[in-house]
Amino acid sequence: MRIEVKDLSFTYSPDTPFQKQALSGVNLQIEEGDFLGILGHMGSGKSTFILHLNGLIKLQSGEIDVFDVKLVPDKKNKQDLRKLRGTVGMVFQYPEYQLFEDTVEKDVAFGPKNLGLSDAEVASRVERAIRLVGLDYEDVRTRAPFELSGGQKRRVAIAGIIAMQPRVLVLDEPTAGLDPYGKEQILELITKLKRECSPTVIVISHDVDEITRFADRIVVFNDGKVAFDLPMNELFRHSEELTAMGLEIPRAVAIADKLRARGIDLGDVVNADDLVRAVVRKFGHGNMDETAISKLSASQFDFSAEYGGTAAGGDR
Amino acid sequence: MAAIELSDVHFSYPGAEGEEREAVKGVTLSIDEGSFVALVGHNGSGKSTLARMLNGLFVPTRGKVTVFGADTADEDKIYDVRSRVGMVFQNPDNQMIATNVADDIAFGPENLGIEREEIIRRVDWALEKVGMSAYKDGTPFKLSGGQKQRLAIAGVLAIKPRVMVLDEATAMLDPKGRDEVMAVTRQLNRDEGMTVIHITHYMDEALSADRLIVMNDGLVVADGKPRDVFGQYGLLRQIKLGVPYATNIAIALHDAGLDIDPHIVGEDELTEAICALK
Repeated sequence: MRIEVKDLSFTYSPDTPFQKQALSGVNLQIEEGDFLGILGHMGSGKSTFILHLNGLIKLQSGEIDVFDVKLVPDKKNKQDLRKLRGTVGMVFQYPEYQLFEDTVEKDVAFGPKNLGLSDAEVASRVERAIRLVGLDYEDVRTRAPFELSGGQKRRVAIAGIIAMQPRVLVLDEPTAGLDPYGKEQILELITKLKRECSPTVIVISHDVDEITRFADRIVVFNDGKVAFDLPMNELFRHSEELTAMGLEIPRAVAIADKLRARGIDLGDVVNADDLVRAVVRKFGHGNMDETAISKLSASQFDFSAEYGGTAAGGDR
Repeated sequence: MAAIELSDVHFSYPGAEGEEREAVKGVTLSIDEGSFVALVGHNGSGKSTLARMLNGLFVPTRGKVTVFGADTADEDKIYDVRSRVGMVFQNPDNQMIATNVADDIAFGPENLGIEREEIIRRVDWALEKVGMSAYKDGTPFKLSGGQKQRLAIAGVLAIKPRVMVLDEATAMLDPKGRDEVMAVTRQLNRDEGMTVIHITHYMDEALSADRLIVMNDGLVVADGKPRDVFGQYGLLRQIKLGVPYATNIAIALHDAGLDIDPHIVGEDELTEAICALK
């Protein structure tokens, strides 16, 4: 099972003075199980690409195959679109702005209800989804979403998508606007959702330090095309080209580059954890074994209690 | 001289059935004129409530806020207060009111009853200060997030305030937009002597301030030079706030037994410290 995109092009407002080509000839394969990060500055085409994956934009030219649902231009098939939307779950920017029901439970149930599931199935999915995102089901189910904190609201919105049990989860700027602890909570949550719910995860972020925390593979969009498609540890060997495209380089990479210029080669470093481990390996004088080193982390908060299974979950 | 003084300021939000929620629980502060102050705290710490008391959007339920000597609770002085303290909020899209950039900036001074020639001068001056002169006749809605926030800053500038409060004004921007807004703000502080109070979640933005104030649960829990405040990293982690990027790495290296000072705050400092291990 995979997502296969062939020769995808898209133009906004074609044949008008505002015509703008957003994608030109994009080819991409996303395998089940990928933890994919998508980078690209504003107007690079990354959002247009993502909107194609569950049919929110009508295909103009090219082919898209999402887990055997095939989309081609000028073909209308409501059945296919319904199936597609059950397969690919989209969490947009500031998803909490889209909460609308008067209780958390009803809001999370909206998606699965529209999939035409039985009431019992909907109820069980809602409970599981609310627990999965780390909220206390008994406490929040009958509360109004607007009573919750910003981070909790965002988790309710994510639960609404998770309740549809998508095989592919797409998140657009999932941590935007949150405080540092709220950001960390969402990052932990994404890792957990990949493990326990949606095996394929695609994250769009302009915070490159964040993407390097979890992605296995990164696709860089530039000017409507795929500029890079590489495993994460290889991508940042191209830091000069990425900078020329106006992209940020992860801070750990920038520090490692500076150290290299000073004669200290730490090898491939993409995030803060890598940097810490590489420095300890080089300068720790053997006071730690490899198992201990591989557990070192620069992360500032401990979530073992929060996501340990019982998930108490308030962040107020 | 103090631009703003707060003495034992409290603020409670009214709740259902007469239950009140106290968001600010007794803050005493003096903000020097011309200073660049960063204010941090996690969501719900009371920092945005505090910000809204700095120009009389909220009046303290107990205690007193004065802006250049004027009490914000004094209804006769509220126009003075609001014309001295400008606010820039988080969401750029909620702060645009006109269909063209120049009109948007003119909105503030028009409401103050300033004469037309002066308004025209101020619009041009404010646009120049934020580096947006080229967009004067364009529409605000086609601008990038960073440009929109610079426009919001220009709109505030046109009122010629002496203090600018940015309430998470960089939170919704991409890294480039954040840099643009920070550069404009620093320049206003340096060249115009504007007092800036910058509320942010980005600890690295707080680093370059003259003073860093940390709020938790309605109270000020740390206040000083950013370097000294980030030195109290145990406290900051405990209140779920965190420290700058380089500090996290320095702490992890220090804890792993390497000879690295955990009080490092900058990336260059960290690089030097690692080189010194050689």
